[in-house]
Amino acid sequence: MNNNKSLFVIALILIALLVLSSCAFVVKETEKAVLLRFGELVRTDYKPGLYFKMPLVHELRKFDARIQTVDSQPVRMLNSENKFMMVDSYAKFRIVDVSRFYVATRGDERNAVRLLAEQINNRLRNQFGVRDLHEVVSGQRDQLMADITKNLNESAQKDLGVEIVDVRVKRIDLPPEVSESVFQRMRAGRELQARDHRAKGQEASERIRANADRQKVVIEAEAYRQAEELRGAGDAEAARVYADAYSKNPEFYRFSRSLTAYRDSFKDKSDILLMAPDSQFFRYLKDPEGK
Amino acid sequence: MAWNEPGGNNKDPWGGGNRNNDGPPDLDELLRKMQQKLNGLFGGKPSPSDEGAPSGGASFPWSLVLIVLAVVYGLWGFYQVDASQSAVVLRLGKYHETVNSGLHWNPPLIDNVTKVNMTEVRTERTTGQMLTEDASIVDVVLQVQWHIDDAESFVLRVADPLKSLQEATDSAVRHIVGSQTLNGVISQNRTQVAAETQSRLQEYLDLYQTGIRVDVVNLTDAKAPREVQDAFDDVVRAREDEVRLQNEAQAYANQVIPVARGQAQRMLEEAEAYKARVAESARGEAARFEKLLTEYQRAPEVTRERMYLDTVQDVMSNTSKVMVDVEGGNNMMYLPLDKLAESSASSANQRPQVTPQVIDEISQRVINQLRTEANNNNRRAREVR
Repeated sequence: MNNNKSLFVIALILIALLVLSSCAFVVKETEKAVLLRFGELVRTDYKPGLYFKMPLVHELRKFDARIQTVDSQPVRMLNSENKFMMVDSYAKFRIVDVSRFYVATRGDERNAVRLLAEQINNRLRNQFGVRDLHEVVSGQRDQLMADITKNLNESAQKDLGVEIVDVRVKRIDLPPEVSESVFQRMRAGRELQARDHRAKGQEASERIRANADRQKVVIEAEAYRQAEELRGAGDAEAARVYADAYSKNPEFYRFSRSLTAYRDSFKDKSDILLMAPDSQFFRYLKDPEGK
Repeated sequence: MAWNEPGGNNKDPWGGGNRNNDGPPDLDELLRKMQQKLNGLFGGKPSPSDEGAPSGGASFPWSLVLIVLAVVYGLWGFYQVDASQSAVVLRLGKYHETVNSGLHWNPPLIDNVTKVNMTEVRTERTTGQMLTEDASIVDVVLQVQWHIDDAESFVLRVADPLKSLQEATDSAVRHIVGSQTLNGVISQNRTQVAAETQSRLQEYLDLYQTGIRVDVVNLTDAKAPREVQDAFDDVVRAREDEVRLQNEAQAYANQVIPVARGQAQRMLEEAEAYKARVAESARGEAARFEKLLTEYQRAPEVTRERMYLDTVQDVMSNTSKVMVDVEGGNNMMYLPLDKLAESSASSANQRPQVTPQVIDEISQRVINQLRTEANNNNRRAREVR
């Protein structure tokens, strides 16, 4: 009897819990929710917390309330110079008006992402079409992005209930056929530098060598001058000494010196002398008095 | 279905911290609630803690089960947060608090706890070819070290913080590289590139509310693309060549100049030696002459005669001589030229075999001889002067 009653109670409780569990729901901090009654929006302003609904009558739809990404594929775009470039971009967005978002996308977030991607693509194409490579790569990148973000945000808020936090170009690449010519240009630039370095090396080398050669010549010339001065000084000293000594008796000097000269001149037996004996040289050979 | 939304049907992408929601909670919760209802139904029954329950066998196990369930629920709510972690607590889906390290208790199923590691420094890498301001292409490897700075933002504000980081890094580094020249990226401005990338990246991450703080950005590698690497290498080689050529020239200079200085010194020393020799020999000869002169002056006639005869004797005994008194007029002279020739040639004839080499050698020797004699004569002449 008691056991039967307990079983009944348990069954009752189970049913009650099942009903309750399909009534209660939690909206998390990271979510936004809309409540539909037979397909009609009845409530969209959920703060995070615990809520109840009528099963079967109400339908609940939840969306991610966090900042999400639209990551588009790299796209070929023409720039103002009529050259192609590969542009890869992404955008960050957040649902701000969930009812508008639900209506615009019929509850499918992928729709929103696709719509945004198309719009971003379109705007990038427009912006890139009027600028050259240099402008989009460096000069006006920030401004371009800010323009697109602002512009897109206005329409997206109105149409999709979505706030565009940021639109960024991830990468701008050149298509392969253009890359090759860039590489060629880079290579040419490097060759220029290499030649410049080598030529400068030769210049410096030549300069140093020439300088060394000049120094060598100058050093030797100076040394020659000094050497000649020294020799001259020696000669002068010698001449002075000779003059001092010989001027004491020039006539005897002439005599004795001549004798020495004769001796030296006829040192060898094979010498042959043929000359007029009255030449000045033989003055003393004829006559010791030199008359 | 929404009833167990915080528990079993877990869509949280950031993982971790879900321990509380795993396993059997649904069943336990069910039993617990059942127990509560049961108590309500029995109205006047004593509280489950009352030991002395009189209502017999049927109600006793229920209160025991109730107690066990309460204890399990209580224990289940405890969790530990490591020193390196923070935990974000959602109460019924609403942000409640962020707790730091220690032992904590939150009611299970009502609160959702997500733990994140706040101190671990993680690394994000990006590589690729990027365009520079001068429309060149550069290969860049960039490393970003980061940690979670704001757990609440990291968990709640952005759908995929890691992907956001990757995208922001890609965008930021390309932006900065795009505003630098190739040389700037490769060499001069590397640190600047890293620093600017870091500040720009942080700006983006803050805008996307990722709760990520970038510690440091390293420009690990920035070099010319493989396609043109050889040309860049050649520039490096050329730079080396430049230095090498200079060094070689300097080496030449370092050799030539000291040698020249040495030779110059030699010239000077030789000149000094000459000077000393000439002066000293002059002094010597002068002294000799003066000594002789002193003696000569004592007896000039005799000395003169003696010197004369000595010399004439020496000379005459030494040489073949022909002396012609041209003043003598027309008388015929016979000069024994054949004999003279013979005597002068005799030295040459002594050699039995005369080959061209020998003749060359001899002529060379004769030339040398003549040269030295000429030098001697010159010197002598100079001495005479």
